[in-house]
Amino acid sequence: MIGAVNTPAIRLRGVTKRFDRKTAVRDLDLEIPRGSIYGLIGPNGAGKTTTLRIILDIIGPDAGSVDVFGSPNVEAMRRRIGYLPEERGMYQKMTAADHLAFFGQLKGLKRKEALARARSGLDAVGLGDRADDKVETFSKGMAQKAQFLGVILHEPDLLVLDEPFSGLDPLNVELFKQLLQERQRAGATILLSTHLIEDAERLCERVCMIAGATKVLDGRVRDIKAAAGRRDIALSFEGNPTFLDAPDLIEDISAHGTYVEVRMLEGADPQALLRRAVDSGALISRFELIEPSLRQIFIEKATEAGLSHEDESEDDEAAA
Amino acid sequence: MNPFTPRVAAVIRREFVLRVKSKWFLLSTLGLPVLIVGLGVLSAFLAVRGATDAGEERRLIGIADPAGLIGDLLIEEFLADSLDAVRAADMEALSVDEARTRLSDTSYDLLLMIPRSEGRRSAEMPGAMPDADEGEGGDGRTTLLARASVPSVIESSVRGALQRASVRARLRSIGVQSIDPGALLQRTSFDVINVTESGEARSQDIYRALSFGIAFFFYFILLIYGQMIVRAILEEKQSDIVEIMVSSLRPWELMLGKIVGVGAVGIAQMAVWALVFALAAVYGLTAGASTLAEAGIDIASIPVPWGTLVLMFFFLVFGYLLYAGMFAGAGATISNEHDAQQVMLPITMLIILPFIATQGVIQSPNAGWGVILSLVPFFSPLVMPARLFATSVPVWQWLVSLVLLGVFVLGAAWVAGRIFRVGILMKGQRANLPQVLRWIRHG
Repeated sequence: MIGAVNTPAIRLRGVTKRFDRKTAVRDLDLEIPRGSIYGLIGPNGAGKTTTLRIILDIIGPDAGSVDVFGSPNVEAMRRRIGYLPEERGMYQKMTAADHLAFFGQLKGLKRKEALARARSGLDAVGLGDRADDKVETFSKGMAQKAQFLGVILHEPDLLVLDEPFSGLDPLNVELFKQLLQERQRAGATILLSTHLIEDAERLCERVCMIAGATKVLDGRVRDIKAAAGRRDIALSFEGNPTFLDAPDLIEDISAHGTYVEVRMLEGADPQALLRRAVDSGALISRFELIEPSLRQIFIEKATEAGLSHEDESEDDEAAA
Repeated sequence: MNPFTPRVAAVIRREFVLRVKSKWFLLSTLGLPVLIVGLGVLSAFLAVRGATDAGEERRLIGIADPAGLIGDLLIEEFLADSLDAVRAADMEALSVDEARTRLSDTSYDLLLMIPRSEGRRSAEMPGAMPDADEGEGGDGRTTLLARASVPSVIESSVRGALQRASVRARLRSIGVQSIDPGALLQRTSFDVINVTESGEARSQDIYRALSFGIAFFFYFILLIYGQMIVRAILEEKQSDIVEIMVSSLRPWELMLGKIVGVGAVGIAQMAVWALVFALAAVYGLTAGASTLAEAGIDIASIPVPWGTLVLMFFFLVFGYLLYAGMFAGAGATISNEHDAQQVMLPITMLIILPFIATQGVIQSPNAGWGVILSLVPFFSPLVMPARLFATSVPVWQWLVSLVLLGVFVLGAAWVAGRIFRVGILMKGQRANLPQVLRWIRHG
């Protein structure tokens, strides 16, 4: 059942999906290594949810192939997968324990076992005394905990989460992250989608950026940042700023009096700029290479790909 | 491949347990027997009440018979029925209208007015019966004036007395004195016995009544449980849970679980009813055996048609599956209650039409069109069970009917599954027909 350890948890090849005339996902290749926390980032409408649904075999792709744990038969893998969609309701008339046990049964647990896990899970998140209350009596935050428990009750090897943190209260965000990391330590692979790039940057080792149905970039967050290079420099100085007049080194400058943000030309050596500054006799109090944020990189890449419109909407989303 | 995987079983269990534990189930399951028993008790009570009222409240009947032709005979007849009657000589000269205005001043509760010509006319023309019940007040007609409303027992007593008295008057007029009119007027009756191919006898009336009852019951079950299916599927969408569900099982598995779960609730409900009625029947028949025997009904001679009952159960189950599939497909195309009414309407019509047709079929269960309708899917789940009870249906007919129905059940399940697979993930606007047709074609 378990494929060779070095096969990725998920592998997509040339996946394309069209709805009527709109292309939701275009020729997407994706490889998600086992045991990683992987972020699918991009603005709303970029095709994230469609991609997740294709991976889960809820909808079929028009072209391309999907393997989960090395098998094209996702159906056979369902027991090993837990999915938290963005729309994550519950049957209001069921009691919490009964409801979670039902989810467990859908994933192949025996009822008795499922019920026991449901109770201990509810206990662990502080809802033990509400286990036999109907879900409709739960507050929003309590329901969020119960929903999350429902996805991890059967201890899945692969967790797929669509916008897991949207609408969560801050305490639950922390709880979710904690539970996710617990699952990862237990060896699970975690794939989450989010339009909040900062969330992905903090939590994920790897990300795939999509915009306008197309993959813009993917890989380790560390590598992506390294490849983007440290081209931004924060500079504070006293003295003559003529050394900044260097079109052979500098692409762009935003000056704020004695504090300046400099963007180097691609391939230009920051050390060369530092030497010129020292030679010019300016008194330098700060010269720092700034790591670009994932957001900046994303915007750049999307702009390069001619997808600037989506980037703006993404900015709005992120700001909201 | 066994479609009842553990996860389908989990869905069935959930549907069943939640519904059986609901207040609705308790009320409707206990409600029907209570309603039927209640109606029975109420009508029995009213009948008894009416009879004792009639007996206890002595009513004085005045008889105005100016020609003096049957008045005395009437008094004899009323006395034989233990009703008080006297000649109302003071009213004999009055017309009906005059008598009407003066009735409240007299001691008569009822006043029977025989027209002057009545006795003679009846005697001369034996076909002309005096009419006691048409109180139009024409002076040429017999009229019963009453101060309060007339209980039906009294009315029929009056009718009987009038009939016997006028027969005696006629007999007397042709010189016959000593014949008991009761013997002359004895009702004739006969039984219609339907003989089946194997020579069994079945009493027609009982089975006609039963076949209507069965058709009505099936109609009721299909409607109620069909709508329950739509609600059950709407619940998935409205509670935003459907995407979690379809990530765990195939849409058709979800649909199957819902249909079977709701159907199991129906079977549980019918089992309770059957048990209640069986107990009531055993108790009632034991208690009422002597009464029935007096009435000439021998319970043991009424055969319980087990074969027919089992066959009917199959038609009910197949019929349920056919309509449940269609309701499930319809339920998948909508997201709110308002649209539910609209998509259910055409399917509901497909249940109402066969029910209407069934009532005609019961009257002549072997007519050609009745036979055809009992073979046609959609009609057959109601029409065939009704025919099975009303007449003896050749084996090939119910076999063909059941096979055709089975084929349609599979067809409906296939189409519903295609609609369901796409529709269940849709939200918001109701899908239109071209969209739905595209889903069916492409899946």
